[in-house]
Amino acid sequence: MKRSPFWKRHPANDLVFLIACCGAALLVGLALNALRDPALPLVYQGKSERLEESVRRLASHTPPSRIPVLGDEIDLQTFRRFVEDGKGLVLDARPEMIHCLGHVPGARSLARDDFEKSYARLGKKLSNDKDQPLAVYCSDISCEDSRLVQAALVKLGYTQVAVFAGGWAAWTRARLPEEICP
Amino acid sequence: MGGLDPGEASRGDLPVKGFLDHKGFELALRIVIGGLFVYSGGVKIMDPLSFADSIETFKLLPPHAINLLAMSLPPFELIMGLLLATGWRKRAAALAISVLAIVFAVALAQGMARGLKVDCGCFGGGAPSPGEIWFSLGRDLLLLATSAWLYLGICRESKAL
Repeated sequence: MKRSPFWKRHPANDLVFLIACCGAALLVGLALNALRDPALPLVYQGKSERLEESVRRLASHTPPSRIPVLGDEIDLQTFRRFVEDGKGLVLDARPEMIHCLGHVPGARSLARDDFEKSYARLGKKLSNDKDQPLAVYCSDISCEDSRLVQAALVKLGYTQVAVFAGGWAAWTRARLPEEICP
Repeated sequence: MGGLDPGEASRGDLPVKGFLDHKGFELALRIVIGGLFVYSGGVKIMDPLSFADSIETFKLLPPHAINLLAMSLPPFELIMGLLLATGWRKRAAALAISVLAIVFAVALAQGMARGLKVDCGCFGGGAPSPGEIWFSLGRDLLLLATSAWLYLGICRESKAL
């Protein structure tokens, strides 16, 4: 009678195999990370630490921050007027992919998780006038991305940065117009 | 009055058992769970930073372990998903997935017990909400039950060989 392979008969060998798989997964993970730009550092940095690092790199030539005059936080009515007037810039702090699926009309993506690249993409539209009114929003009242981006912009010298705390959830709840990326 | 033979009678009494023991059912489960792990691993490989942020919300690991786990767990999930779906070393894969499901469930439960705003990170990162955490825990327990059932079935099958 033909005998089945050794590993089929001895469950304990599964553990040896799984330990080898763990090692292989670690090596694959490290190799993939080495190919990534930017690579993930070996020690975890929190969201705010990462953003601060980006701001430090960007802020090497910016003047010290001033106190915002637009107000620290705005409600839905004020934000709606701000969007409709079109006199300032609306910034979406959510990841760019989420922004593309639906955002406040006219809003530009300034993603917290990819701040440096988003900031560079916005270019002169943002950096030419550091006194222009800016309103930042993210998903909802519980998300912290808009606050983090507001703090980063203030550090970069922007004087009027307000947060619309209700975010995308409050905007869509009020059935206000939406826009998607082309 | 011939009647049914005892074997037929017992199969007739428990049609669900016959269905659960069916090879095709096991194969379908392996493909579904394996596919789920391949997808989950793939999504996290694409965005390890969001996954690291999700791990951090559990407040269980020190900073130097978070990124290592965020880099290595997704490939491990992907490998286990492939093994389970293809059937090569399926017993080991079912064991690994059961253990992972236990670890995920314990991590989620401790986060909820401590009142943390835990982000499951099961299929990439996202803003956590209490309803989603209950849903994640329920899904995880279902995964645990299914993978454990698969593992025990495969063990029985191996012994029979």
